Amino acid sequence: MERDTLEVTNVTMPPRTCDDYWSEFRHCKSLWNRFHNYYAHGTSPSCGQWKEDYYSCREWEKNPGPETKESLQQSERNREAEQRKFTPVWDLRRDPPRDWHMPLHQGKSPDSQS
Amino acid sequence: MDQTEQQEEDYGYNLFPERNSGKFQKGSIAESLFTFNHKCQVMLQFAMETSKLTVLSCLFSAVYKDRHFSCEDCDGTVSGGFDATSSQIVLCQNNIHQQSHMNRVVTHELIHAFDHCRAHVDWFNNFKHLACSEIRAANLSGDCSFHNEVSRFNFGLKKHHQECVRGRALRSILAVRKVSREEAEKVVDEVFDTCFNDHAPFGRIPHDKKDAKFAYRDFENRDRYSANL
Repeated sequence: MERDTLEVTNVTMPPRTCDDYWSEFRHCKSLWNRFHNYYAHGTSPSCGQWKEDYYSCREWEKNPGPETKESLQQSERNREAEQRKFTPVWDLRRDPPRDWHMPLHQGKSPDSQS
Repeated sequence: MDQTEQQEEDYGYNLFPERNSGKFQKGSIAESLFTFNHKCQVMLQFAMETSKLTVLSCLFSAVYKDRHFSCEDCDGTVSGGFDATSSQIVLCQNNIHQQSHMNRVVTHELIHAFDHCRAHVDWFNNFKHLACSEIRAANLSGDCSFHNEVSRFNFGLKKHHQECVRGRALRSILAVRKVSREEAEKVVDEVFDTCFNDHAPFGRIPHDKKDAKFAYRDFENRDRYSANL
């Protein structure tokens, strides 16, 4: 049983399905997305990386060598790093607030929170 | 802040007079006859089923309609709010009359609730935190979509989304805090870049249904994604 579990955890697959990469590429290139990108950022979107990732993904499926995997994984890590470029203004919690699910207190006055 | 100033700041609670005592008892026949409460509840149910909102709702261990939402009469033209002291979203039943408006307000307030849930947001004492959540809510809820801006007769194209987000974040801050416009603008400017580019939980600005669908797909695949990075 333990051996089976080990074998399962060692199997890796691309972070997304190859179809997902292709659909992201197509969506990125679409007229609507180009409009929205111009409206939000004032520029045309950069879609080439999605296409590259799609081809890397296909290569991974056919010949899962370390270089192919690393190329796709690095691309995704870069994508994540882009999202975290700026220092957040707040500290993240480990758990939701303790009172998130607590029952409401009816008739509580606003002064009570200060 | 001295005692007099502290007493004057009510953190926007004056806009939501029913937060402490409603005119009618909750769930009473009088409430359903004389307020828009029932209509609000129905629209809320529909709103929760739109894809953008399923991303947000699913990320919580549980968001319960009965616990985390309240349909109430509000003052002025405010559409809704997030009450951090009770972790509850307030929907202004007297000011929300269209389903699309409800969808937008629920998304906006859920983003505040999401921020409250995932981070130590000091809503009452830290203006940067308040400004950041307002920027994110205006950015990600659809408040500033091209369509909505045109319907407000705000015609702009290149990077207009950002202008709208700034303006609406400013308005929201001024509505709930007694600060000068200059102070509010300064705080918004300080945190704008960070907060405009924080797209959690969507991973992108969900401009349309396709964006929302892809964001939801990313959410569903999150385990596979993180395991294979």
